[in-house]
Amino acid sequence: MRLTALDEAAEALKLRKHMGVAEARATYPKLDVIEDDPAANRRFLEAIADWCDRYTPLVALDGVDGLFLDITGCAHLFGGETPLLKDVLARLFQMGVDARGAISSSPGLSWAISRFGQGGIIEHGEVEQALAPLPVAALRLEEATIGALNKTGLKYVGDLLNAPRAPLARRFGGAVLLRLDQALGTDEEPVSPRLPVASLSVERRLIEPIGAEDDILALTGQVAVSLKPSLEARGIGGRIFELVLFRVDGKVFRISAGTAQPLREPKRIAALFAERLQAIHDDFDAGYGFEILRLNVLLHEDFVTSQGDFEHHQQKDASLAAFVDRVSARLGEDCLQTFQLRESHLPERAVIAVPAIDHLSAPKTREGHPPPARNERPIRILQKPEPMDAFAVEVPDGAPASFHWRRKQHRVLKSEGPERLATEWWLDGSDTGDRDYFRIEDDQGRRFWIYRHGHYERDATQNWYMHGVSA
Amino acid sequence: MAQSAVTRERLFALRETIAKLEGKPAPALAAAQSEALADNGLAAKNDSGPRLPLGIPALDEAIDGGLPLDGITEARTDLLREAGAGSGFVLALAAMLQRQVEESHSAPLPILWIADMVSTMEAGVPYAVGLRDFGLKPDQFFYASPRKLEDALWLAESAVESGVFPATVLEIRGNPKPFGLTESRRLSLRAKASKRPLFLLRQAGEEEASSAYFRFLAAPAPAQARPLPDGTMLGGSIGNPVFHLTLEKSRNPAPLSFLLEWNSHDRRFFAVSRSANPRLPDERAAHSGTPLSASSNRPDIKKEMGALLAFARSS
Repeated sequence: MRLTALDEAAEALKLRKHMGVAEARATYPKLDVIEDDPAANRRFLEAIADWCDRYTPLVALDGVDGLFLDITGCAHLFGGETPLLKDVLARLFQMGVDARGAISSSPGLSWAISRFGQGGIIEHGEVEQALAPLPVAALRLEEATIGALNKTGLKYVGDLLNAPRAPLARRFGGAVLLRLDQALGTDEEPVSPRLPVASLSVERRLIEPIGAEDDILALTGQVAVSLKPSLEARGIGGRIFELVLFRVDGKVFRISAGTAQPLREPKRIAALFAERLQAIHDDFDAGYGFEILRLNVLLHEDFVTSQGDFEHHQQKDASLAAFVDRVSARLGEDCLQTFQLRESHLPERAVIAVPAIDHLSAPKTREGHPPPARNERPIRILQKPEPMDAFAVEVPDGAPASFHWRRKQHRVLKSEGPERLATEWWLDGSDTGDRDYFRIEDDQGRRFWIYRHGHYERDATQNWYMHGVSA
Repeated sequence: MAQSAVTRERLFALRETIAKLEGKPAPALAAAQSEALADNGLAAKNDSGPRLPLGIPALDEAIDGGLPLDGITEARTDLLREAGAGSGFVLALAAMLQRQVEESHSAPLPILWIADMVSTMEAGVPYAVGLRDFGLKPDQFFYASPRKLEDALWLAESAVESGVFPATVLEIRGNPKPFGLTESRRLSLRAKASKRPLFLLRQAGEEEASSAYFRFLAAPAPAQARPLPDGTMLGGSIGNPVFHLTLEKSRNPAPLSFLLEWNSHDRRFFAVSRSANPRLPDERAAHSGTPLSASSNRPDIKKEMGALLAFARSS
């Protein structure tokens, strides 16, 4: 067991990282050692990253203990770069996090300054000046490379800046120059955000935190109203909306809701979240209230406007879409389904159930060839055919005279069939047997759809299955 | 004489209370009273909302001109293995409503089926190809499978409220306690307000007081044979499905029992006369022997030989 992290008191005792726990205990018997929990660390970092969403939507994780915030175009919202940095650090300090930060023109430089320098803001002209006195480790290099650089006497970044580039690259590999260029800002380094960036987003900052669901929904409606002009200007409507709620104590709730059709109407957007809040009611803890409410459009589509007619077809479509949205927001997207027909002889493959929310606005599936001549199908089909015992098949290849299904004897009075359906060899392989389907009616008038798996004359074992219930 | 007037007054007051509970307007009640006084029971007044006539005069008369399109109609089956009959009857009603919408030359409207999980496991999911054979439009069929009964009730209520569906089918198994008179009353009021019907399909349930206008007991009945071009019937064939329906709850005092044949091409019901019950003169039916045939691969239970009163004394 080794030490992985130290608090300030331990650092003052000259303990180091990677030191054995036994060794540290031998020196300081009263040492308090807590086992490392990388998963918890990660969760904590992600919670902070969520919280940092209040400053910019572009937040990226950096290793296990850092965050990159791309604040391009965001600083003025907080009164400039200096107040922004102060605000971040002060709020984090209040939450009990000892954080250091720097703002500069490149992620590499910010990383170096915040971890090895004094932090603060580096103006565009003073990059080299700020970077030169830092150790080479500030360039995010591998341990081995740092060791090799130190051995040759290149201890500070300034030494590298003055050294000729070609021999450096030859001796230490291209990584050194790449990192150096990234720190200097001559090589562009993208910051990949951890969450998808919303295509549109509106937010409201509150002086007085709100906690009641009604207040949240009313505010969502207001925010959605201010979202509508931007959607209209782009000619789009939202398909997935996300409501981000920043709680006073730093916890962030993200609630997303999908729609069946591109949506702009503020009332319907608010109604979606009303259902979502109902659905997640138990997990939703308002605590001391929310201070920021943001509405994101995560996915958008072209909004097709069509002229209304006297028969109000459009209105009917809209109310159907509203119903589908409500149900999907409340009960999940898989709850409400529609059926799509496909060209397959196998009964269970001829129909697939798809979520209604995805296929309401989708174009209708092409009506293929007219269905081949076949027997009527049952109105209800069992999801998995159930094996049953069939007795006394009087006619070879015919329906059974009676069968035993779910502990109940049924006597067959009438039957229609067989209807032979071959399995799809291109999917199932050639060794699966064919099915002979029968429509049968028992002595009570109940009608079923059963089949025999395998040929009567060819296969020794014939298994009978119940597959559907007819009207 | 005065005594009887007082009694009549009380009777009217009670009737009025009942009418209020049933949501009938008071003037119509007065008219109904005057009719009743005149002993003119046959004049069924179509005072309430829109109706769906089943197309059979004798039956439509019994249900006041048709099924209400602004209320609950319940269909129940006795056993889950008879789910086909109940589902078929309700789906047939939905198909009739869809036909009505089409005949009024407006865009087709979807049907919503709210399934019960256990019934789905026992009797299967609605099968789109079969629904097309049955007269419905598979692309206008929505299938919902909520996990809890409360969700199903909420779904039914908001479906009726939205007014999108010409027919909403709520499938329920048995007589669950959370779905009692209060909930059914709530659904009924919602249906009345939005003028949309709700069909309650109670699988394997018992008779229960509810706010449904009518309750049918659906049972399977032997199907009609397929007709041949020369007018005869094809023996042994299974043609249009036939339902054996018993009108359990209605304004009529006596339960009414009848056979209905569903024609999926015309999308309408036909009455089947009982005498023409096309049960085959089947030989096997004449056997009065054991209902269990010899089994091939399961242990047969030995029949009891007879009543054994006492053993003979051994000593």
